[in-house]
Amino acid sequence: MTAVHQAVAGAGPYDAVSEQARAWRQLLSQAGHGGADYTGQAAPGTHGFEPLAHLEPAPGDLIVIRYSAWSSSLGRLLERPQRKLLVYHNITPPGYLWNHSPPLAIQCAVGRIQLPAFARSARVVIADSEFNAGELYAAGAESVRVVPILFEPDRLAPRGYAPEGDGPLVLVVGRLVPNKRHDRVFRAFAAYQRECEPEARLLCVGTSLNHRYAALMQTLADASGARNVRLAGGLAQDEVNAAYAEADVLLTLSEHEGFCVPLLEAFHFGVPVVAAPAGAVPGVAGHAALYTDGDPAVTAELIDMAVRDAQLREELEQRGRERLEHFAYERTAQTVREVVREALA
Amino acid sequence: MVRRGAGWRGAGREEGVTQPEDAQEQARRSAELKRAEGRYADTSGSDPLDDSILGGKAPAELLSEWAVIEIEPDLLYSTRRGGAPITALKRLLLRLMRQHLVELEARQTRFNLGLLAAFEQLERRVETLEGAAEARAGRDE
Repeated sequence: MTAVHQAVAGAGPYDAVSEQARAWRQLLSQAGHGGADYTGQAAPGTHGFEPLAHLEPAPGDLIVIRYSAWSSSLGRLLERPQRKLLVYHNITPPGYLWNHSPPLAIQCAVGRIQLPAFARSARVVIADSEFNAGELYAAGAESVRVVPILFEPDRLAPRGYAPEGDGPLVLVVGRLVPNKRHDRVFRAFAAYQRECEPEARLLCVGTSLNHRYAALMQTLADASGARNVRLAGGLAQDEVNAAYAEADVLLTLSEHEGFCVPLLEAFHFGVPVVAAPAGAVPGVAGHAALYTDGDPAVTAELIDMAVRDAQLREELEQRGRERLEHFAYERTAQTVREVVREALA
Repeated sequence: MVRRGAGWRGAGREEGVTQPEDAQEQARRSAELKRAEGRYADTSGSDPLDDSILGGKAPAELLSEWAVIEIEPDLLYSTRRGGAPITALKRLLLRLMRQHLVELEARQTRFNLGLLAAFEQLERRVETLEGAAEARAGRDE
């Protein structure tokens, strides 16, 4: 059967795009497709990816390009004659990054400039959210299929150690990068702790953009006056699962999101979500989240409601379960098989 | 499921909300009332990262700052677990290569500043020409 290769600019052990490549690989293998997964750059601890320079596809193979940043090795794929399927996971607007990580800002700036070329080169173009589809259309794509991420509940079963301490646990899951606006999280959490629950805890899970940004976030967390704040960095999946199981609220104040997988994870664990309605968040969470207007005091009150109001918690849990049906594994898997067939036709 | 000891969970608020759609409005009202009592101090004004996030093009003063290239050793580190010795080695290499790197920094900065000066000169010329064109259009009317 035809080989299907996947290519990403960069892969990492806690990276959502790498995780999707792995989930697709499993499906592709089940369907009998050979091929492998390739990356331009692998972070330490990454498994299952080969260097992109080693990709030598046969003429009839399909290359799935997962596009979330530009790299020269990914750019060279456009010259290949093989059929291509583009999966757009969104590229962070570089304005968020120029001051904090110039190298990544360049990758994102060029990535956005090159998006039309990648879309033109692909036989089938996919976005994992309506929001990302909008960006593809704006970049000149003629036809875009929306195929959500493959959400695997089995991944959320193993449980590691629960976070230490007592008091309501506000959980934030996502990389420490400027568009996730952890600065707003600290302010809102500090307000919540001061006015509602002095013993509340904040746990932020996610690797940092770089050491300097991690230090800046720690400084901002300290300056906010909040206590019981832990910036945990990247955690193993079983520890993240344990944190969800313990959490009272998932908070996401991100300003730019291409999908936001933690929303689905929170729904899976029945954890109420308080979110900023930015990017793909309203499209993914629908009516199953509490939306803030950005005022830290309003966010604090919403967290308090989500923690204390039993009826509201139940309603949100029910709505979360309904949202999860929309992202059910088999449903998405079926669409993935269809688009791969379409790209190979 | 309420976990043992999590007494706050579902403990209830004075004003109960049953529909998520009403929550934001109620949170806003609640926040306003508390603000009127002098609570929620320090929750107005801009957020710490606001100034560092650039919407459109970078302002001129930032371009001048970026034009000067300076290699910072603390940006050099290993991301591996237990990577401290690798970080130390990388920084040592940087020190050993300093003579060469200073030369590179200077050359790149020279080019950047030259380009910036030329850009600023062009901007001034455009402004002058636009002003003259507007004045001419005003006279013609």
